[in-house]
Amino acid sequence: MPGLDSLDGFLRLVRTELDLELTDQDAETELAALPGWDSMNLLRLVTLLESGSGRRLPVPTVLAARNLREIYAVLEEAA
Amino acid sequence: MTTTTPIERLRGLRAVGELAAAHHRIPALLAELLDEAEPADRDALLSRAGRLLAGLDPDEVLHHHPATQVVTVAITGQSTVAGLVDPLTAELARHGLLLRPLIGDHGGWLRDLTDPGGQLLLERPDLSLCLLDAETVFAEVPSPWRVEELAEAADRVLERITWLAAEHERIAPGLLVLNTLPLLRRHTGQLVDHASRARLGAVWREFNARLLRLTERHRSLVVLDLDPLTAATGPVEDARLACYAQVRFTAPVLAGYAREVGHLTRSLTGLTRKCLVLDLDNTLWDGVLGEDGPDGISAADTLRGEAFGTFQRTVRQLAAQGVLLAVSSKNDLEPVLETLHSHPDLVLREPDFARVHADWLPKDGHLAAIAQELGIGADSLVFADDSPGERAQVRFGLPEVAVLPLDGEPALHVERLLADGWFDVLRLTDEDRARPEQYRLEGERHRLREHSGSHADFLHQLGVSVRLGPPEPHEYPRLVQLTQRTNQFNLTGLRLQPGDPAAAAEDPGRLLLAIRAADRFGSNGLVGALLGRHTPDGLLLENVWLSCRVLTRGIEQAALAALLTESRAAGLPAVHARFTPTAKNHRAELFYPELGFTETARTEDGVLFRHGLEFTPEPPLHVHVTLDLGWPTDAWAR
Repeated sequence: MPGLDSLDGFLRLVRTELDLELTDQDAETELAALPGWDSMNLLRLVTLLESGSGRRLPVPTVLAARNLREIYAVLEEAA
Repeated sequence: MTTTTPIERLRGLRAVGELAAAHHRIPALLAELLDEAEPADRDALLSRAGRLLAGLDPDEVLHHHPATQVVTVAITGQSTVAGLVDPLTAELARHGLLLRPLIGDHGGWLRDLTDPGGQLLLERPDLSLCLLDAETVFAEVPSPWRVEELAEAADRVLERITWLAAEHERIAPGLLVLNTLPLLRRHTGQLVDHASRARLGAVWREFNARLLRLTERHRSLVVLDLDPLTAATGPVEDARLACYAQVRFTAPVLAGYAREVGHLTRSLTGLTRKCLVLDLDNTLWDGVLGEDGPDGISAADTLRGEAFGTFQRTVRQLAAQGVLLAVSSKNDLEPVLETLHSHPDLVLREPDFARVHADWLPKDGHLAAIAQELGIGADSLVFADDSPGERAQVRFGLPEVAVLPLDGEPALHVERLLADGWFDVLRLTDEDRARPEQYRLEGERHRLREHSGSHADFLHQLGVSVRLGPPEPHEYPRLVQLTQRTNQFNLTGLRLQPGDPAAAAEDPGRLLLAIRAADRFGSNGLVGALLGRHTPDGLLLENVWLSCRVLTRGIEQAALAALLTESRAAGLPAVHARFTPTAKNHRAELFYPELGFTETARTEDGVLFRHGLEFTPEPPLHVHVTLDLGWPTDAWAR
């Protein structure tokens, strides 16, 4: 999936695919504090990132992530 | 031509805060989204649209569009079910319906749906969805387990579900939706011997079969069979999401489930589609009639031809259950009729179609004309065409029509036709099955009218007969359906509920008569009804209904004239009646005055009339009436 090779690209993807209004600082924001966040979003992200990148992600690590930067780190590690 | 995608436009509307105000345009936007997306992407895109729409405040939508139908849906089950909200929001939005979801606790389905004081039932949901999965049974077996133990667990679960169905029916007003439980490889594979696996398979299917059979006993229960659905969608679950997040259905399964529930809801809200309008070239047969000639087209005997034949048989299958068929084709009419009449390959013939429109005018005009001639709304039509241009023209010109995207691969036509349950109903009535024949006869009447001089000539040649009498108990469902569907000739707007006909029939102080009509072309069936009440000053007509299909034939005048004559013969002092204006019944405003009734009062509830029976009107000459009150006439003349 194009754009997944940088944190900015990842945030852009989260913005459009999950329809969240994020600023660039929101990579560090606690997930539950993101405007419009709900717990289903983590599951949506797993499906989205796996189908987009063709990689299998460690689901428990994604589910335990506290913010978007940590999710991006999981994605990088799986590369 | 716009270059933004429907999703981008939805997002744009939300960004400027206009999504709620634009709610009436959403069905058209979603139709465009589905038509233009690659088939493999449709569900995911629709779900994304659903997520956008799920953020809407229903009250804000109602503020802009007060007539929007809100559907309150309780969603509960064995697993995490919140993933259903997005696809269900989108599926209901396709039909112009607004979802108000109530989410239960996972695993808490039995309590959620049987506790009258609980969070879900307190909101009186229109629909309760209870998503069950294999865990519902497997949670009850020991570790390790044997098939016998699983069979006992299945019995216990079924007993609980049976109780749930009865209890829900007793305390909740809405429909309960259950589903069959998919059996997975990770269950069967736990048994190493084939004999036990076969026993497990049998026990499991017996469980699902008994679950499905519960619908025979509970009229407000629907059980969705997930087998055909999951056979088309692929994996039922992602083992990791099932394990870590208790999500036991994948997004494609939930999307398919939501689609079925969407159509179910649509039929409950009286929005059932009635007519399938088909293109011809490359939709019903292989080839282009105008270019290839009748010998160059096929619907049998060739590889592609067979695919069209299969499609035609599927269409005929729908028609046999009451779906009307019509043709909209860019062709000259003459060769089309000739082909429909005599081409050896065709399964569907001219008499199968209630209307055939073949000319070179835009297709939205064909569809509008078909709706008008059949006396149904454009929102009752489904249009199937292989040409994206024609579909876009209809979507744009007549957005109420549902458009089926067929393409150049005829082997996929059947799947595309049935992907959406546009014609789904809860239960089929005899009247539904007879509908295509009724409309075909209607076509013959239409031709007679065209060839008769005056309307009076036409009626004379038509030879109408009317039979007025108490309905038979097996006619009650049809009678109720008639009162719910009749708008133009419904003199007070009253609609009967399922228990009403039996109650009226049993009450000696009430009069309920069915109006049945026939003419030289055949029977029209039960076309109207008349509800009255005995009062000290004679008979009070509470309402009269007549199907718009048979209006302007003198049937309603004949029925009333006969009733007035009979009332006079019975020595009644008078017959009273009421007309209450509704949005659609203004044409019937003068019905009572023209029969000699005089106005006695105007109230908030409408106009009251009285007929003193000094002289009674003659029935129209061309109508032959028989009246059987099913009630000794001296009984009313107390």
